[in-house]
Amino acid sequence: MSGRRLRGALSRLVAHPAFFLALVATLLVGCRWLSGGTVQILTFVLIAVIFAQSINLLTGLAGQISLGHAGFFGIGAYCSGILAKAHGVDVALSVPAAALLAAVAGWLLSFPAGRVRDVYLAMMTLGFGMIFYEIVREWNDVTGGTMGFPGVPSAALRTLSILGLPVDGVTYFQIVLLVTALVLVLMRNLTQSRIGRALFAIHVSEVAAGSIGIPAGATKQLAYTLSGALAGLAGALYAHLVGYLGPESFALPRSIEVLVISIVGGLGSIAGQVLSATLFTFLPERLQVFAEYQFIAYGIILTFSLVVLPKGIAGLLLEPPRFIKPRALKRTAVFGPDPSVLQREAGGGSLEVEAVTMRFGGLVALDEVSLRVEPGRITALVGPNGSGKSTLVNVVCGLYRPSAGRIAFEGRDVTGLSDHRIALARIVRTFQDPRLVPHFTVRENLLLGAHRLLRHSGVAAALALPSALEEEARQLAAVEAVLALTDLTAVADRTVSTLPYGTRRMAEVGRALLAQPRAILLDEPAAGLSEAEMERLAQVIRDMKAMGLAILLIDHHMDFLAELVDDVVVLDSGRVIYRGDISGMRRDPGVIAAYLGDEAVHAHA
Amino acid sequence: MDDFFFSLVLAGISVGSVYALIALGLNLTFWTTRTLNFGQGSLMMLCAVLTVFLSSQGLAMMLAVIGSLLVVAALGMFVERFAIRPALAAGGGSMGWVVSTLGFGIVLQGVAAKYFGSQAMAFPEVLFTAQDYVTVFGQHVSLQYLVVLALSVSLILLLELFVRKTVWGQAVHAVSHDPELALVQGIPVRLIVLGSFIASSLLAGVAGILSAQIGGTVDPAFGFDLVLLGFVAGVLGGMGTSLGALAGGLAVGLISKLVGGYISTAAEHAIAFALLMAMLALRPQGLLGRPEVSKA
Repeated sequence: MSGRRLRGALSRLVAHPAFFLALVATLLVGCRWLSGGTVQILTFVLIAVIFAQSINLLTGLAGQISLGHAGFFGIGAYCSGILAKAHGVDVALSVPAAALLAAVAGWLLSFPAGRVRDVYLAMMTLGFGMIFYEIVREWNDVTGGTMGFPGVPSAALRTLSILGLPVDGVTYFQIVLLVTALVLVLMRNLTQSRIGRALFAIHVSEVAAGSIGIPAGATKQLAYTLSGALAGLAGALYAHLVGYLGPESFALPRSIEVLVISIVGGLGSIAGQVLSATLFTFLPERLQVFAEYQFIAYGIILTFSLVVLPKGIAGLLLEPPRFIKPRALKRTAVFGPDPSVLQREAGGGSLEVEAVTMRFGGLVALDEVSLRVEPGRITALVGPNGSGKSTLVNVVCGLYRPSAGRIAFEGRDVTGLSDHRIALARIVRTFQDPRLVPHFTVRENLLLGAHRLLRHSGVAAALALPSALEEEARQLAAVEAVLALTDLTAVADRTVSTLPYGTRRMAEVGRALLAQPRAILLDEPAAGLSEAEMERLAQVIRDMKAMGLAILLIDHHMDFLAELVDDVVVLDSGRVIYRGDISGMRRDPGVIAAYLGDEAVHAHA
Repeated sequence: MDDFFFSLVLAGISVGSVYALIALGLNLTFWTTRTLNFGQGSLMMLCAVLTVFLSSQGLAMMLAVIGSLLVVAALGMFVERFAIRPALAAGGGSMGWVVSTLGFGIVLQGVAAKYFGSQAMAFPEVLFTAQDYVTVFGQHVSLQYLVVLALSVSLILLLELFVRKTVWGQAVHAVSHDPELALVQGIPVRLIVLGSFIASSLLAGVAGILSAQIGGTVDPAFGFDLVLLGFVAGVLGGMGTSLGALAGGLAVGLISKLVGGYISTAAEHAIAFALLMAMLALRPQGLLGRPEVSKA
């Protein structure tokens, strides 16, 4: 218990702005009394912090592994070094230019990288790092090749001047410190904004993210671009610290080192990265043994850390980070719940599926299926396992492109739109297995649903501008109302992974509601629910009906459906075999043979 | 056909067949667990370095080779037990095992550098000397190249036969298709997974010795690029297909040697990595592979 209390206290301390300001101020002033060597090591620490944040953003937040980050670091270093030395560009300009170039490189890499995942992504990023290394080695005229590139204006060599003013080691440290502080503040703001939450959403499930309107492709591009920029910035600052650039500084070991720092610090935790960067920069300097066996130590750490200490130092010392700005939450408390999201909206049209056929190779999963879901009505889609129900939902929601046929919503053709565009067209779904972000709280998951309604820019989010906070607070007020409706208020601040299955299901329905859909497709929402939970769910579905939503409900539970639904469509082997009301379905001989017959046998067995 | 071109083609085919062998080693574990050992390159290096070391201690060459292969096989078991299995059990996607096997490779590389030094050491001539040659169509053909080619190709064909024709091969297929189903049907999945890692490590060891033989030297860092090239070969042909690995390996060998010969030796590897990125982006299933149909 005391361990937990200590962690709580430590987390509050680390998160407190006063602590952060005091730390920065102490270093800013105190560095005057430190030896030149120590100041230099501290500058290396800061550079490692920025570099580690770049991995943290890409791998920790967005879940995209990179084994070639030394490439971005090197692009930044060489760009700024070459601009400053060979072209006489002021460092105040060359460093931002370097970050920009690395950002462009990240953006470019995101296109091939966005097409692959897992091991292929690891290999591709490894390839990227290797190609960069080979280019630097061979492009003698520009990079100096294997001989290296000496004479970059550097603080250590006292050749650095910024905006005409000479900069010594201490002043350079102070500048880098301010840059690092800025990076940390921006990172923290981003993590606690729609951007950070979207990155986590694609990390956990691209399909689920798409279903609430978060585009996986564009989100990844953003992650690569920002990560490239941070790595490039770190590289440029490194160049003007050391003054000499050689290809070996940007080879695989550097990519490995930053990965080690990031993993040991705890992926996803900003404070953890800072601690870890400090540790791994000071250790080899202060501990000869560590320096000697550094590479072996890194290897051992990589081999076992994710198993032994999956959340790193941060997981050990600190509470898990949260993903909504406390200031936005405070503002919401003033508003109170805003039920307008649950009010009936005028107008609306039906969701029409016309002769949709879906083939996988030779298998026909859907065979000219047509159905119509009217606003303010609940249409049940039933059928034996493998009859094509989920496939139909996947086709409607843009995960599969139908082989033939047409899907229209509110009079507009939405056939073949990608999944996030379908969500923007206000068709939202839930999944057979709840796909929430497990380490988000219920409230954070619900707010994720409102992603498409948060329109403020990434810059506004990074700077935490009042307009951005205002918008978050307004959506959080809507979240309050949905929490109350779905009976989740009591568990709003619990992380989803600690909650029972039924509660998670309800949270997923709540998240879908936050996206303000006009049509909702519920894929077996009652599966695995207790009697009481089913009761609650039925009430929520009735509320949705009252809101005028077009509802498609897949379920096997006939008693559950009987009380709820207006229309029934029965699928068997990809074909519609019945369309009508539920009592008619129970009498229909074709349905009995295909579906109920089977169930009746089991019921009596 | 001029001599230079011919020698490049021959060198390309020869190293390409080694790349194919490496790709095959990667394939084996990819079949059974959908994982790759990123430390595979270090196993190749270690096998070659140990062979040098053991033979320098006065051990007969054949015994030195066998001894090194045994060590590498044991390390393969270690990787499965301590790097792959816990990472898969912990969940969280591929991140865990990519990082843990990479770490394992780094440890091996670091240890080898510590004990054998990071200098390149000469590899003894196990199969003929670099000067031995036969004459084919009036061209000198290095015997070493021919033996390496013959060994690689026959290993690949043997493995393909094993997988296609034997009960154990069928079991490997069953595990690769659906491990849980295989387990329910009484197939010893654990054993097959472990076996795949041992076999994969042995292949890496053989590939290490063969490429050391062609190159003439080994150093602690030598496996890393090679395993990447093996991966390029695998991706080019389509991960998981043996004949794809062979075709991919030969293609990578030929392309990199020709580029190296006519454009610049510096571009030899860069072109292969560029090929890797392009291939992954454009046709991840490879030239011979079929796209996977996945259910959302």
